[in-house]
Amino acid sequence: MLDARLGRIEDVEEARALARQGTLSRAGDLFWPAVIVALVLLALTGDALAPYSPTAQDVGARLLPPFATSGRGFHLLGTDPLGRDLLSTMIAGTRLSLFIGATATFIGLVIGVGLGMAAGYYGGAVDRLVMRLAEAQTAMPMFLVAILFLVVLGPSVFNVIVLLPALVWPAFARLVRAETLRLRETLYVEAAVATGCTGPQILWAHILPNVAPRVAVLTVIEVGHVMLAEAGLSFLGIGVQPPDVTWGLLIARGRPYLAVAWWLVTMPGVLLGLAVLAFNMLARRFEVASGSAA
Amino acid sequence: MHAQSPGRFVVTRIRDGAGILLLVTVVIFLLGYGLGDPATLMSPVDATPEQIENLRRLLGLDRPLYVQFIDYFGHLLRGDFGESLWQYRPALPIVLEALPFTLLLTATALVLAGLLGGINGTLAGFWAGSRFDRATNFLTVAAVSVPSFWVGLILIAIAAVRIQLFPTSGFTGWQSLVLPAVTLAVVHGGRIHLLVRSATFEEMTKPYAMVARSKGLPDRLILWKHVLRNTSVTVATTIGWEYVRMLGGAAFAVEVVFAWPGVGQLMINAANRHDFPVLQCAVIVAGAFVVATNALVDIGYRLMDARLRVA
Repeated sequence: MLDARLGRIEDVEEARALARQGTLSRAGDLFWPAVIVALVLLALTGDALAPYSPTAQDVGARLLPPFATSGRGFHLLGTDPLGRDLLSTMIAGTRLSLFIGATATFIGLVIGVGLGMAAGYYGGAVDRLVMRLAEAQTAMPMFLVAILFLVVLGPSVFNVIVLLPALVWPAFARLVRAETLRLRETLYVEAAVATGCTGPQILWAHILPNVAPRVAVLTVIEVGHVMLAEAGLSFLGIGVQPPDVTWGLLIARGRPYLAVAWWLVTMPGVLLGLAVLAFNMLARRFEVASGSAA
Repeated sequence: MHAQSPGRFVVTRIRDGAGILLLVTVVIFLLGYGLGDPATLMSPVDATPEQIENLRRLLGLDRPLYVQFIDYFGHLLRGDFGESLWQYRPALPIVLEALPFTLLLTATALVLAGLLGGINGTLAGFWAGSRFDRATNFLTVAAVSVPSFWVGLILIAIAAVRIQLFPTSGFTGWQSLVLPAVTLAVVHGGRIHLLVRSATFEEMTKPYAMVARSKGLPDRLILWKHVLRNTSVTVATTIGWEYVRMLGGAAFAVEVVFAWPGVGQLMINAANRHDFPVLQCAVIVAGAFVVATNALVDIGYRLMDARLRVA
């Protein structure tokens, strides 16, 4: 099976080598997880690590390029039009960017996994309702509805977190439903039914642990999607509002100065791209390791 | 589902599309009139409470919600989306004036993205594991990991501000099209690349492709005579769905970046000016377009699929 999937000899050897050593053996495999861990640490301990206060202004040090030095000291990534240290504001933005990405994805996961398990296990009307809903949701131009939603309810961190799960739950529901359909036919679920377990008991104790690995892979992918969506909304001015700060908002803030201070737009985007790339690369690694994709 | 005849599939799909569009209008209505307060939304930002109260009575917002919905929906069917609170003329023509610009931009971007992703993706899948595959793979994953509006800003900084090659904002001729179209093509071409690559790769692992390879047929022959014939439908459909994705979001942020006079730019301006009728109209018109494109792609896929099966 493995040999048939891989067209070239060096790939087969690479796959064998991976199988011999376990999947997380090469240094390259640890790089992207390390990036994610570093970002999470940055989000948790940001205030201590940031060289300056993210809100401290200094009009004498306006729009300094990267590697410049002001009266206060060294600015690795330069400063903004109010003299705030860019690196420090980006570190401050890490917390909210990751928090929104993680929270919104988690809410979408809970909704999607719950509905997906119910649809797959109980079938019938429940299944039809859930799948129809997921289908309508996918076919609906969600970004447009999102704009309207945020204009009507007012842009805020809370409303963004309420809205974004709507973008991701159908993917979880579809995956979990398919897995549940398969697991429902296994011997151990049959045994559980025979010993008198109730539906919720079976879903919790037998189905959920078995769908968890694939849900975990999907979660990693969707966190990246959610973070990009949040950045887009914040950039358009209908997401997170100042004084809160996220990477998307920093890009918007730097936009008027694009011609004179390229670093203000470039750096937050690089960090956002790096974070999403780390999640994407990690997900691909999982998929290759589990043999579910090339 | 595949047991359905093509004719019935077309009918079902159009019906589903209409249903989704109806759902969109209901959601928009509920958002605007149920959750929000349209009188406040439609008032200028500096309106007094008395002025808002007057507007509420004037617009009939003190009536029951279902009466308002019937009223609202009746007007929609007649193409009446209300009047712009900014330009003092009907909202629909304003949106329809912006629509061609969005279509021009997205169609150009799609052609670029389709060429970029389709060709590179096929080659990468065909020579899976090669240096070309690895390099393009990483580049495309990187391309889909960055927000498209950011790519646009970077292109402005490089191509327009530094070397002053192309205009960076507004529409002044075909040169204005270059940067926004390239921006969209980078991100969406990346997504097409990844999907086409995995479809081609899967095709290459099938026994017939293995046989063709092991008996020493030249690569060009395997690609043109065997693999492409089987992946072409997938590639076409992938490109179609990518268009739906583009229209459903990314294109609008890119329009804002380049001040492109399309629907996205119009929506964000309307949102900032509290011009609710125009915003609502834009969402419904753009939404109808997305839903219709989605249905067309699904139908096209189904028809191509059926024809291949007969042949």
